[in-house]
Amino acid sequence: MRWKDFIGSRWVIAALAIGIAVGAWNGYIALNDGGLVEGRVVDGGGRPVPGATVILLERNFVMHSERQRTRTDAAGRFRFAGNDNHSLRVEAESEALGRSELREVRLWFRAQNVSLAEPLRFAGRLP
Amino acid sequence: MRRRKGLFTQAGLIALSALMLLPFYWVIKTAITNENIYAYPPRLLPHHPHLFNFVDVWYLIPFPRYLLNSLIVSLLVVGANVAFNAMAGYALSKEFPGKGAVLGLLLSSMLVPFQATIIPAYLITAKLGLINSYLGLAFPLLSTIVCIFIFKASFEAVPHSLIDAARVDGLAEWRIIVRILMPLSKAAIATNVILAFIWSWNAFLWPLIITREPAMQTLPLGLARFLSYLEDTTGALYAFAVMVLAPSIFLFLMAQKEFMAGLSSGATKG
Amino acid sequence: MARFSDRAAEPGGWRGAKRVRELLLIACLLLPSLLVFFLYRLLPLLWNVVLSLSYWSPLKPARWAGLDHYQEMLTDEVFWQALGNTLIFIGASPLAIVLALLIALLLNSEVRGRALYRGIVFLSYPLMTVAVGIIWRWMYDERGGIINYALRASGLIAKPIPFLESFEWALPSVILAEVWQVLGFYMIILLTGLQSIPEHLYEAAAIDGAPRRAQFWRITLPLLKPSLFLCAVVGILNSLTSFDLIYIMTNGGPGHATELLITYIYKSGFGQTRFDYAAALTVVQFALLLGLAFVANRAAGGNAGALQQR
Repeated sequence: MRWKDFIGSRWVIAALAIGIAVGAWNGYIALNDGGLVEGRVVDGGGRPVPGATVILLERNFVMHSERQRTRTDAAGRFRFAGNDNHSLRVEAESEALGRSELREVRLWFRAQNVSLAEPLRFAGRLP
Repeated sequence: MRRRKGLFTQAGLIALSALMLLPFYWVIKTAITNENIYAYPPRLLPHHPHLFNFVDVWYLIPFPRYLLNSLIVSLLVVGANVAFNAMAGYALSKEFPGKGAVLGLLLSSMLVPFQATIIPAYLITAKLGLINSYLGLAFPLLSTIVCIFIFKASFEAVPHSLIDAARVDGLAEWRIIVRILMPLSKAAIATNVILAFIWSWNAFLWPLIITREPAMQTLPLGLARFLSYLEDTTGALYAFAVMVLAPSIFLFLMAQKEFMAGLSSGATKG
Repeated sequence: MARFSDRAAEPGGWRGAKRVRELLLIACLLLPSLLVFFLYRLLPLLWNVVLSLSYWSPLKPARWAGLDHYQEMLTDEVFWQALGNTLIFIGASPLAIVLALLIALLLNSEVRGRALYRGIVFLSYPLMTVAVGIIWRWMYDERGGIINYALRASGLIAKPIPFLESFEWALPSVILAEVWQVLGFYMIILLTGLQSIPEHLYEAAAIDGAPRRAQFWRITLPLLKPSLFLCAVVGILNSLTSFDLIYIMTNGGPGHATELLITYIYKSGFGQTRFDYAAALTVVQFALLLGLAFVANRAAGGNAGALQQR
């Protein structure tokens, strides 16, 4: 077989394409698997809620169990480190506002760094 | 009148295609949907589609392991098939005493379907100590009679002048097979590869009998095993099915002609 | 290729040293394949017969049983039901073949996009039967399945039908799934057969004034006999070996409504560990296969349906 035919054949092209895609994907994973989960917590009116407790739940086959807790800072932001799961849930608690919504966070790969697009909302408003 | 008939035919074929593709659509829709899949009435279009079911399958089911097992067994089978069948095909293209008996033996072996041999085949494999091993999984498929005859026909079609010239040049038999006959039998090789791959990739009953632990299971077994496991309300099981079917469909789309020719010749040469 | 007699006339005949080397080479080339077939086709066939005539268990030594297992089979209800189901399964293949013939005829004409339709119909055949079983199981589901939904939405039925759990519907449902998968294969065989019929036969018939219908019955069908015979044999084989689909969709149930011989063999051998009884069942199944193949051969006019060369 001539080399040109060989390289141009659809099989080689397909194999190369798959190989490149797999390599690129793995590269992306390697760069982004720090296990960070970040987000903000706001109340019903959109104001940040400082000092709320945020709970991180991770999937355990068919149920989610608590893994970590942290508190939001003055700007209502929180951050978890060391997540190694691909399916998470986050919710917040605060003495004043009770419980926030339960947010489902699904990742493309384990320990993917993720920053919540929408902030966690409480139903009520801060006084 | 011609136009009417042509339109009729087109309409019929489109309806037929819709019916044949319906199961695929239904399964894909279930795999990417984000609702309770058992709710009635089921929606015809996926509701809030997402691809995360596939991520779930990748991590919660040992999909990579099953994939690896299936790949190893299939590669073993395909490699052995091309080698052994070509060898036997070449041997059968020559004359030797007892050839008739060997041919008769092979033809009568073709009458015996695999399913008629499972009990003793299991006992033999156990005696050989190959239970729960890759070789044990691959053994019954390492050679197929149909493909031997395909190679035989292909080799016999090579003009003698080529072979004689090579012999005169002093080429050893091995080299004749590899350097001259095989490159001229690309169609036979392609058919053999496709048939061997499909039979080993899709094999279910034999791996079911032979494997003893989940770590050695192949994809069909993994799929069957989680049929009862994943009766939850998400489309995870069907995402698994889609992931299992994807390689076969991809290969089919890449090699449609060879597929159809190979699978039909695989039966016609009987 | 030198004829046998030519070789013998060579100096040294079959006994020359070069010839011996050649024979040795041939033996080596044949060895791997023959080993596989011996171990996994011929030996099991004989072993089955021997096993079926003895009492065998993994721990105790074997004893002679004569025809005891076969006698047990005669009174085994499950065996008779499995046999009946298998025959029904086989009986459904002519319908599938006719359907495939219609499709092949459609695809043989000059429609646009032929190759695409061919690919679509054939797509289901190379797929993993386990996955096909799961797909169809889901389609038949009472709640989320599309078949029940379509039937209810179009007003044909009021309540969903539990297809795979009802005694009447289970076997036809599985048969439908089987037909969906094998249709493409029949179609390709028949299409190849159709395309190998020489055009000039039709032209001659047209000149003679024969109507299209007569052309079909007098030219097409007889010349398709080898292809039809092949489809029939494949259909028989499929029905006798359709383990995957049954296992996934119904596992022989409800009761034994979809039990086939092959699933009963599996359950006896690997469920109840009664290898001897399973071997007897296998012998019966193989005899059934041979018998049906013989009948099909006869029906096709002998010689595997080959055409009479004029």
